[in-house]
Amino acid sequence: MGKRSKTSRKGKKAWRANISSEDIEDFFEKTTRDALSGGNLSAAPSEDLFHVDKSHDLPVKRKIEKHRERVLRVDSILKKNPFVQLVPSSKPKLKKSKKTIVIEDKAPKQVQKSVGDDSVMADLWGDDSKGEHESNPRKIFKNPSIISAVEIEHPGCSYNPTTESHQDMLAEAVAQEMQKVYKTELGPAPVPLTIEGDTLSEDERYFLDVDNFSEGEDNENVENEVSEAGIKLKENPFVQLKPSSNTNLKKIEDKTPRQAQKSVGDDSVMVDLLGDDIKEDLKYFLEVGNVGEGEDNKDVKIEVSEAGNNVSRKTKRVTRVELNKRCRQKALRKKETKEKAKEKILNEIDSLPNILEEIAKEDEDKQNKHLRRVIAKQEVLKIRPPRLGKYKFEAPPVQVLLTEEMTGSLRKLKACCTLARDRFKSLEKRGILVPSKQIRRF
Amino acid sequence: MPKHYRPTGKKKEGNAARYMTRSQALKHLQVNLNLFRRLCIVKGIFPREPKKKIKGNHHTYYHVKDIAFLMHEPLLEKFREIKTYQKKVKKAKAKKNEELARLLLTRQPTYKLDRLIRERYPTFIDALRDLDDCLTMVHLFAVLPASDRENLEVKRVHNCRRLTHEWQAYISRSHALRKVFVSVKGIYYQAEIEGQKITWLTPHAIQQVFTNDVDFGVLLTFLEFYETLLAFINFKLYHSLNVKYPPILDSRLEALAADLYALSRYIDASSRGMAVEPKVDASFSSQSNDREESELRLAQLQHQLPSSEPGALMHLVADNNKEVEEDEETRVCKSLFKDLKFFLSREVPRESLQLVITAFGGMVSWEGEGAPFKEDDESITHHIIDKPSAGHLYLSRVYVQPQWIYDCVNARIILPTEKYLVGRIPPPHLSPFVDNEAEGYVPDYAETIKRLQAAARNEVLPLPGVGKEDLEDPQNLLYAGVMSRAEEAEAAKNKKKMAAQEKQYHEELKMEINGSKDVVAPVLAEGEGEESVPDAMQIAQEDADMPKVLMSRKKRKLYDAMKISQSRKRSGVEIIEQRKKRLNDTQPSS
Repeated sequence: MGKRSKTSRKGKKAWRANISSEDIEDFFEKTTRDALSGGNLSAAPSEDLFHVDKSHDLPVKRKIEKHRERVLRVDSILKKNPFVQLVPSSKPKLKKSKKTIVIEDKAPKQVQKSVGDDSVMADLWGDDSKGEHESNPRKIFKNPSIISAVEIEHPGCSYNPTTESHQDMLAEAVAQEMQKVYKTELGPAPVPLTIEGDTLSEDERYFLDVDNFSEGEDNENVENEVSEAGIKLKENPFVQLKPSSNTNLKKIEDKTPRQAQKSVGDDSVMVDLLGDDIKEDLKYFLEVGNVGEGEDNKDVKIEVSEAGNNVSRKTKRVTRVELNKRCRQKALRKKETKEKAKEKILNEIDSLPNILEEIAKEDEDKQNKHLRRVIAKQEVLKIRPPRLGKYKFEAPPVQVLLTEEMTGSLRKLKACCTLARDRFKSLEKRGILVPSKQIRRF
Repeated sequence: MPKHYRPTGKKKEGNAARYMTRSQALKHLQVNLNLFRRLCIVKGIFPREPKKKIKGNHHTYYHVKDIAFLMHEPLLEKFREIKTYQKKVKKAKAKKNEELARLLLTRQPTYKLDRLIRERYPTFIDALRDLDDCLTMVHLFAVLPASDRENLEVKRVHNCRRLTHEWQAYISRSHALRKVFVSVKGIYYQAEIEGQKITWLTPHAIQQVFTNDVDFGVLLTFLEFYETLLAFINFKLYHSLNVKYPPILDSRLEALAADLYALSRYIDASSRGMAVEPKVDASFSSQSNDREESELRLAQLQHQLPSSEPGALMHLVADNNKEVEEDEETRVCKSLFKDLKFFLSREVPRESLQLVITAFGGMVSWEGEGAPFKEDDESITHHIIDKPSAGHLYLSRVYVQPQWIYDCVNARIILPTEKYLVGRIPPPHLSPFVDNEAEGYVPDYAETIKRLQAAARNEVLPLPGVGKEDLEDPQNLLYAGVMSRAEEAEAAKNKKKMAAQEKQYHEELKMEINGSKDVVAPVLAEGEGEESVPDAMQIAQEDADMPKVLMSRKKRKLYDAMKISQSRKRSGVEIIEQRKKRLNDTQPSS
């Protein structure tokens, strides 16, 4: 039969009974076989399959070899000297051979260790190469002070100097000392710790007697308080008087505008007087007209009427001629102002080179000031360091021989015995140490 | 509220973020002040000045980066470890457990500064450049007395002394010394090594004193660093000479306080190789101590090394190449005191003169055991003495004061010894560090030395009187006569005439000192003087007129301006000379 026998698929029950479980059974069979035989060998790498098992041997050998490998410090010290021969240890021959083998194997390590331990001197700069510069992690900031580490003294400080240079240095030393003296003299006088007292006068004794009455103190204090209160009450009217003085000032101020007003009134009176004069003149003309003949009288009347008309016109209206004059003058003024403006602009344009010269001069002055300041700063830095702490740097005194001390002989030279101070001051001067006024106590 | 307002305690900006005060630094590092100072000195960190001092003008400011640099320093942890270890020792002593205390003291942890030196000075030239302070400090402490109060140990003083002698031995061997100046403070030296000028100050041979206003703890910290630095530099320098370092000295010479001589012998012996052995055997066969014998054997065996090494031939070739490459100045320094033998009297500063004389090629001996030759030696050429008078005089040698040697060294010639003889006040000791021509004023003795140098080099210097237009000045006539004589002597090229020339200079100086009358007399006596007058006049006239005629107006103005500045300088010099005259008048004895 090539084919499987067809099973009935009539219902669910019939169908389930005929499902084959052959694959599952095969898988289970394989896994049990692998577990019993030690795993699937096809997947394992060859390193795991083929290796030597040494786990049992390790502890015994290690314990033994540790003792044998140890080298005494004495031997490492003696190895430094190539002329000293090592003394062989007295041990059986079999172990000797093993020991020598072990030592030969690890000799370079021991040599390196001994070198490191016993600090044999080495050349720090033996491996100078540009590569190591790059390996240096940090560029160390160097002190930028211009002052040299060892400053050479002036030739006047020689033990047998020229007379001129010696006098120069003596003068300088004397000047320094005199400056100190002047500073102390011109400075403020110190505050005294004690002050002399004065003798007591009889009035003060009276006050002392007051304090002696212990019983009466309270009463007297009360009386004083009352008297003080009275004084305060008396002081009040003084306070009140002050605003009254202010009111007086205000009154004075009020009077002045009234006088001004009066003066204004006087001006109006003057105007009235002028009017009266004009009327009198008119009357005079009328009287003159009345004296003449009849025809003349008529002419006079006409003239009088015309005169009145003229007066009224002059005060009221302005003639065309004047208006025209005013227009012409305005035009002239405009032209003049324009011309003045033009002249002003031209003058400014002409003075431009002068302005530029002034600007250039100012710039030069600024640059010169800046240069001077920079140079002064540098020169100050040459003399002393910037202020680093609480105190400023003080230069040490100059070491010069006096004229009597100059003998020209090295044997008799009275030399400086405090060179440590000189070195210390030099370190302070270069800004390496912070100057301080530390005085040790014995 | 301002635009960028930040409440206090929050983030900082500007100088406040970049600098911190010393107190803040101590808190940050969690150390005390002494340890902080030591770390700063050893690491080369120093306070800086910010543009704006935020906390006030009375505080010390450090850069934040510097403090971070200190924080990551392994030495900080090492110092803490040492501190805790010392607590253990103190506890053991407090418990009366002396045995444990002794055991702990033998195992104290120590620290090294080698890495810091490499860190601060990446190349050897950098280290040489910063060596001035180091040498001066080490020389100072070599002379200071040891004291418990200042924590200065005897061992340390001896170490400083050894280092200074090693350095001086190298200087004398390589002939690198260039200048010496003796001042009231001490003796200044200047040497030139690999192109770097190194200047240091050595105190005089008197007792140095501790003072109250100096913090010796700080100086000792500097000294610790400088000792290590100088040792490594000596190592490098000695190996450049193919000499082993540290040297093993003859203990006998050490006991006799002749360390410098022993070092010189060691260097010579080690550089030559086998040749020294028979001498050593012969001179020290009388010693009976086993210890000394064993040390001698070690020294001899070490001397064998350079010759037996496989690279010895290469070293010799390298040495020859180095010798060829020497400077001209080194050659001059090497041969200045050649073929001269010096004997130092007892009161003379021996170590200083020993250094100077050997650095310039001379041979030196002194009174006492272990010296290379004795006072009776007939071949001694100069006896250095500093007394008013000498007892027994040998006719074959010259008795000179020590200043003569220093002045010869600075002038680079052997000066005449007449002014430096015993019992006289020597001429002024001039400073070689001053450039006289730049300052404009030249002392008399400096000018004399210059003439002697010119005579030694067969040269004729321009005479100072030629520039003046004062034709009636008798000095001018003298100089004109001297020129002709000098030319004649130059043609002859004889040593005797050179000596005669020197005598003439001295005679002229004496004439100047005596007065004007004596100066006029030889001029009248000589017929040549009269003939030279018109020539000098004509030459002077031509020199004065020619430039002014040919110049344009602008250049003439410039020329006049230059003349004005020169006249100002000359007036300054004249003031100094007038002062000198006044001093001479007040002190006729000088």
